[in-house]
Amino acid sequence: MIVSSILRRARYAWQRVATVTAFRHGHALAVPDERFQRYNSPVPSRIDHTPILSTPELKLTTLPNGLRVATESNLSADSATVGVWIDAGSRFEADATNGTAHFLEHMIFKGTKRRSLRQLEEEIENMGAHLNAYTSREQTTYYAKVLKKDVSAAVNILADILQNSSFDEDRISRERSVILREMEEVEGQVEEVMFDHLHATAFQYSPLSRTILGPAENIHTITQADLKSYISTHYTGPRMVLAAAGAVQHDELVRTAQESFKNLSTNPITAGELVEKEPAFFTGSEVRFRDDDVPLAYFAVAVKGAAWTDPDSIALMVMQTMLGAWSKNAGAGKHMGSELAQKIGANDLAESVMAFNTNYSDAGLFGVYAVAKPDHLDDLAYVIMHEMARLIYRVDSDDVGRACNQLKSCLLLHLDGTSPIAEDIGRQILTYGRRIPLAELFARIDAVDVDSVKRVATRFIFDKEVAITAIGPIQFLPDYNWFRRRTYWNRY
Amino acid sequence: MLAWLLGEKPTTPLPALYEPLEGVRLPKPLPDAIEAAETKITTLGNGLKIASENTPGATTTIGIFIDSGSKNETPASTGASHLLERMAFKSTSNRSHFRLVREVEAIGGNILANASREQMCYTGDSIKTFMPELVEILVDTVRNPIFNEWEVHEQLSRVQAEIAEMASNPQCVILEALHSAGFVGGLGQPLLAPESALKRLNGGVLHDFVAENYTAPRIVLAASGVDHSELLSVAEPLLADMPPVPQPAPVHNEYVGGDWRQAADFPKSHVALAFEVPGGWRNEKDSFAVTVLQTLLGGGGSFSTGGPGKGMYSRLYTRVLNRYEQVHSFTAFNSIYNDTGLFGIHATSGTEFVPYLVDIATKEFIAVATPGEVTEVELQRAKNSTISAVLMNLESRVVVTEDIGRQILTYGSRKELNEFIQGVQSLTLQDISAVAKKIISTPLTMASWGDVVHVPRFDQVASRF
Repeated sequence: MIVSSILRRARYAWQRVATVTAFRHGHALAVPDERFQRYNSPVPSRIDHTPILSTPELKLTTLPNGLRVATESNLSADSATVGVWIDAGSRFEADATNGTAHFLEHMIFKGTKRRSLRQLEEEIENMGAHLNAYTSREQTTYYAKVLKKDVSAAVNILADILQNSSFDEDRISRERSVILREMEEVEGQVEEVMFDHLHATAFQYSPLSRTILGPAENIHTITQADLKSYISTHYTGPRMVLAAAGAVQHDELVRTAQESFKNLSTNPITAGELVEKEPAFFTGSEVRFRDDDVPLAYFAVAVKGAAWTDPDSIALMVMQTMLGAWSKNAGAGKHMGSELAQKIGANDLAESVMAFNTNYSDAGLFGVYAVAKPDHLDDLAYVIMHEMARLIYRVDSDDVGRACNQLKSCLLLHLDGTSPIAEDIGRQILTYGRRIPLAELFARIDAVDVDSVKRVATRFIFDKEVAITAIGPIQFLPDYNWFRRRTYWNRY
Repeated sequence: MLAWLLGEKPTTPLPALYEPLEGVRLPKPLPDAIEAAETKITTLGNGLKIASENTPGATTTIGIFIDSGSKNETPASTGASHLLERMAFKSTSNRSHFRLVREVEAIGGNILANASREQMCYTGDSIKTFMPELVEILVDTVRNPIFNEWEVHEQLSRVQAEIAEMASNPQCVILEALHSAGFVGGLGQPLLAPESALKRLNGGVLHDFVAENYTAPRIVLAASGVDHSELLSVAEPLLADMPPVPQPAPVHNEYVGGDWRQAADFPKSHVALAFEVPGGWRNEKDSFAVTVLQTLLGGGGSFSTGGPGKGMYSRLYTRVLNRYEQVHSFTAFNSIYNDTGLFGIHATSGTEFVPYLVDIATKEFIAVATPGEVTEVELQRAKNSTISAVLMNLESRVVVTEDIGRQILTYGSRKELNEFIQGVQSLTLQDISAVAKKIISTPLTMASWGDVVHVPRFDQVASRF
């Protein structure tokens, strides 16, 4: 009852705005051409997308050694992405060996017992293929982009580097300087530094606090034995997924994988057991680096978010979209649907603002990241906390509908090309144990409404601890208790 | 267990994400082998072309490509294309900017405009279901912009901030410089609006520029991931009534070569040597050879991340970057246009090393133009990388749309992919050295930025070719 009256009010307000705009524009909008107003409406509607959501079938086979092979074939394509997604990352390291997973990512392209570094590089370059890798807190990935005819060759190379890398001592010592140089580059990117500090403070004394690159002293001391023991502990069949998309045939890929992945480690420990042994603990806390000599202040404020498999994680994704992202250069400016964006745009409070929502296997981070000139940090902090807490109390159904449509688009538009598809398959199988069909994902998004947003916001935001990181000229950023107090309203 | 781990319970009454959701109607899966779609082109009565390829997948990218860019600007309208890029998707005579933003958000679409020297493009992405909405917005923004003064003013101040930022971006400065020094006429005009033009630009200038250049025969609406007849049924009524204006005479443009240098407070020196690519895209055989030549030379920065496959065995990597540690970056580049183009090497080093840097670049140019210097293995590697780069890029529907739009503007049709692959495959060592020879026999264009004290004199460098 109340909801519908608010709704009606919102609609009415909209019409009023539209009329006022038309009046102000005078003759320009007085005679719009009806042909150009046939399809669009500024009010979001929920449409059934089912007919276009069909994809080629995902085929999944588990080999005797536990390795899962998953493919989505598009046989008319000319190229493919094939890669190995591994349930391992910096979270599973120890403090003394933090950085090993990332070090390994570098060393794995440096030659095997069968291929020297030069042979490996030339083989890839001559095919016109691309070999790439990345490490995150919970996942490590090695993948190759190749032409149709080279898929088997790529699987063989991946299997070879993952099972037979030689890790020459002199290569290891040479790579230390490369990683240290990479570290310098990362330290130059304030956003990266911010999120590392945010993890370090939010998850202090628990494994998610470790950085991916590790501290510099570890990079000097990591040994060949560390790398080998990391592989034999974590690169096991059941914790790996061989995912492929594009011009690949499932049966053929399974056969090649069976032949080439024969020496995987058989360590029985699972990632789930490791997580349970050392779970992530969120601690309300803050870390500030005041530096009045730089022009812009950077800060992030976050609450503990949801785990990957938590059914509430979908609502959090919608809420992240509702808060949205805004930047000075974005064309939409102050007209965006997100009230956070409107307030920041209209009052010129920041250079850019972005809501984020990161998931891990047993926790997450949900919050807002902002870059701003130093003079309005208090107003900016107020707007951010007000909009975050508003999700608990006052939510407009059009805002939810718009965010649902934007989220659906964003998820689909991202799957452009074989690499993002293979990445999606690999990640989902590691985190969910299956690939969620698009239609099911959309159904779960459609299940998010005003009430569920409020409920989920109550669970994650209402009177909860926050973690804050701030860098730069931040003398006017309010203190921790100020932020903590604004995770709930007493009057609304 | 989940609740135990989190210390609290999920509030959504649905199963956890590792369990399938009951009662969802799943569409029938597609077959593994989807027939390769072909490009369909329809020319409307007024000369406007609508082209599409029905790529598989749930999304569509639609773009309007216009044969207009900074080369079409007159002294009175300098900077118009740059400003038009920023004024895209603002108020039209049918919808205010506010309404347009909300409409795009309601379908969750992305919109983007991009101005270049020869072409203007307005593109959008969305879920396939929203194709009509997207087409309506794109056509409206191209056909009916009203350029409200306050919106133009706001964007002009953004342009000002943008060009101030670009002035300290060497890549950008050097590329602009090579064009202004190398060409007389259309392509010699700046792409980024110069400071001096900002006062002259206003809504009226934009109106006139659009009226003159956004004419039906110079427009292509290209799309990937849509059914051609459905696209036509939406797009044709919105575009068919544009007046059939005859194509204007091509803009005068001539490559002359030249020198440009600017001292800037910057610890390194940036130098670029460039030559003309005679014939540009429309000289197909040469354009294939130039593309392969660029991959063959390759190069990059002295420090870069990423695994094998980024061109670590290209000539500039093995012969320059791996040998001289004073070189910070050494890259072959090309900017090819319809009838002409630029091909060159952009290099950076500390200021003392610059004379050697220029000398090395000169030798590399001369080497590839000398028969017998490039080996068969190098050529084969470059051909494979060129072909795979194209095929891998075409995985993306965004790239497909852009490829359709730009090719139709350049050639009037979309070339078969096989034609390109065979063209590249059939290139021989002689073709490569011949095209390199042809390129370096054109006049030299040189641009340098940063600490330019030690950059050799232009005539001294030019005399070496």
